[in-house]
Amino acid sequence: MQVFRAYFKVMRASAGAIAIYVAIFLGLSVAFSFAEGPQETGDFAQTRTPIAVICRDGDAPLAQGLTDYLADTSRIVPYPDNPEKLQDALFFRNVEYIAIIPAGFSADFLSGLDCAVQKVTVPGSISSRYVDMRIDKYLRTARLRHQYGGDQSQEELAVAVRADLAQETPVTVLPSSTANGSERGFVFYYRYFAYAVLATIMMGVSSIMMAFNKPDLARRNLCAPIPARSRSMQLAAGHTIFALGCWSVLVLFSFVLYGRSLLSSGLVWLYCLNTLAFTIVSASIGFLVGSSVKSVGAQAGAVNVIANAMSFIGGVFVPQSILSKQVLDVGRFLPAYWYVKANDAISRLSRPTTSALRPIYGDVLIQLAFAAAIFATTLLLTKERQAE
Amino acid sequence: MHIFGYRLKCLARDREMVFWTLIFPLILATMFHFAFDQLMGRQETFRPIRAAVVGSDAYRQNVAFRQALDALSGPGEGQLIELTVTDDREARRLLEEGAISGVITVDDPIGLTVSQSGIEQSILKSILDEYAHTYATITGILEEHPTDPAGLLREIGQVRTYTQQISFSSAEPNTTLNFFYALIAMTCLYGGFWGLRNTTDMQADLSPQGARRSVAPTHKFGVVLYDSAAALTINLAEVTVLLAYLMLVLRVKFGNQVWYVLLTCLAGCIAGVSFGAFIGTFARKSEGVKTAILSASSMTMSFLAGMMMVNMKDIIARKAPILSYINPAALITDAFYSLYIFEGHRRFFLNIALLLLISLAICILSFLRLRRDRYASL
Repeated sequence: MQVFRAYFKVMRASAGAIAIYVAIFLGLSVAFSFAEGPQETGDFAQTRTPIAVICRDGDAPLAQGLTDYLADTSRIVPYPDNPEKLQDALFFRNVEYIAIIPAGFSADFLSGLDCAVQKVTVPGSISSRYVDMRIDKYLRTARLRHQYGGDQSQEELAVAVRADLAQETPVTVLPSSTANGSERGFVFYYRYFAYAVLATIMMGVSSIMMAFNKPDLARRNLCAPIPARSRSMQLAAGHTIFALGCWSVLVLFSFVLYGRSLLSSGLVWLYCLNTLAFTIVSASIGFLVGSSVKSVGAQAGAVNVIANAMSFIGGVFVPQSILSKQVLDVGRFLPAYWYVKANDAISRLSRPTTSALRPIYGDVLIQLAFAAAIFATTLLLTKERQAE
Repeated sequence: MHIFGYRLKCLARDREMVFWTLIFPLILATMFHFAFDQLMGRQETFRPIRAAVVGSDAYRQNVAFRQALDALSGPGEGQLIELTVTDDREARRLLEEGAISGVITVDDPIGLTVSQSGIEQSILKSILDEYAHTYATITGILEEHPTDPAGLLREIGQVRTYTQQISFSSAEPNTTLNFFYALIAMTCLYGGFWGLRNTTDMQADLSPQGARRSVAPTHKFGVVLYDSAAALTINLAEVTVLLAYLMLVLRVKFGNQVWYVLLTCLAGCIAGVSFGAFIGTFARKSEGVKTAILSASSMTMSFLAGMMMVNMKDIIARKAPILSYINPAALITDAFYSLYIFEGHRRFFLNIALLLLISLAICILSFLRLRRDRYASL
């Protein structure tokens, strides 16, 4: 038991460095969950793209009608007619679309001249298509009403167009799912979980390993009257308890933050399973790092580089759906890739069915295989070093 | 001059520091590159939305609606949806597994079933809305003025767009650039580690070197100047390596004004080194605490300049503008940004001037503090 007790004494000494990762992660999660705003469940919420509308056409009813229609269907962010400010707004995506109704637009439009609403967008983006559809729809309807609807004033035209555009398609949301699907807070939480658990466990396990691997200490331990097997087992028990501890703190915290929505999703056990597999992987990596590095500086470097690299390439920080194919091909050789893949698959489920669960189990098994391989490599390395 | 030379050697031999101030930013840059390379392309670019339509009798009989859907799902530039015609149960299964975004059911009225809210679902709804709206327009017009039904139908068939893309600047609004700009800012501020090390090696109560150098017959101002010059040289060299890597290997865009970019780096490095010196002279704590203060504060400043969250810089600029004028990282990032995006240099020089002003202020403060140092016993 001496080794086991010593384990936690060493742990206490490096608790600060370890807790930092957990604290940062938890702090950010809390911030994000507050930023998320109220959860809407059950009802369909139409996406409202943030846009800026600059109307240079005075108070012409048609231009006003278009602005009102855009205000109803998008989220208008008020901006002055100032290119520098608007450029900033678009660059940082405060607005995703800037619509400029040029002076004299309504008059030109009604007299059949070629005219267009000017737009500044991110070319080819999904939100620009979405707003394009709105503007085109309004103006096409106006064109039809104007050409074929008989004589009417601009005001009457604007009213008629709005009446045509009032109808809404009924949308049913599947009863088994919450309305904001993959945008639910805990989905993000469990994706970033990978970084937190990896950094924390790597830091903790490697600190212990370094302490026990100090040449003098290791030599003294070698001649202690305690069998090597027993010592290793006690260390392993220590690692297990530490890793499980980190895991349960992070999982428990997700209950605190997202309690009801997480529990009602019926996916908790899947998340637990996946995170547990990744926890084991993290422990194995920590084991490897701990037996390879010697100085505290090198350890900090290794932990930072491995945790960041794995998170970036594996798709923790940036969703896998937007990583390029080449990066994903490289990512396949990292356990984080399989963790995120399983996590994404779990998040998409609205109801766990056997056929949908099979690939998730596969991803979990791959992670475990990684862990086993890393453990085996480390043991081999240490054996060789001892032989020297 | 020899002080400068030896100082340079002395600093460059600190491997661990070179790792954090040079290798670490290079690795981060590579990560950013892999991660954000296609961010613009993938996340925002429109791809046809996968949807299913229930192939009921009502669907088969509604020729107009079928034609409308066919027009939208035909391959090509204007393709909006990728459509599967299937039965009710299969469509439901696809939806539950997340393979499609929505199920269209032709009924009266035409309805949509989704499993969550999102932009794809919204576009689907918008397409269906459009059909309903056009239908409403036609019936409305035909009821009131049934003069030219053939012309009306011909007009509907013509697809016109009423939007025209313009741009305020020749540069593409690529948000991901800000990550790289903020990363350079972080590297400049990491120059503070060199500045910090300088002050440690100069103060007699902090290190044996400091004690030795305090009794040397060189003027303190000269020592400070040469030491800072050495730190600045190393920092600038590191930032230049990073910059070259970003520009030539990763092909990050900085606009075409290389000299202005280098000027920004120089100003950034000056700010970084003097910031380190400032912490070194004013925080009278152990070396570890000072390093922690320095890395935490430069991380915070880079965070506020948008290194982790891209719109952070803009949020600060709008909610707490003062912060963005005194945060060196934000100034450096904004200098790069304004070089890239704007034609004029007004905003650029404002950034640089503020940056130099801040550096000057903290340099003077640190030196005032240093020069008063007298030791009772060495």
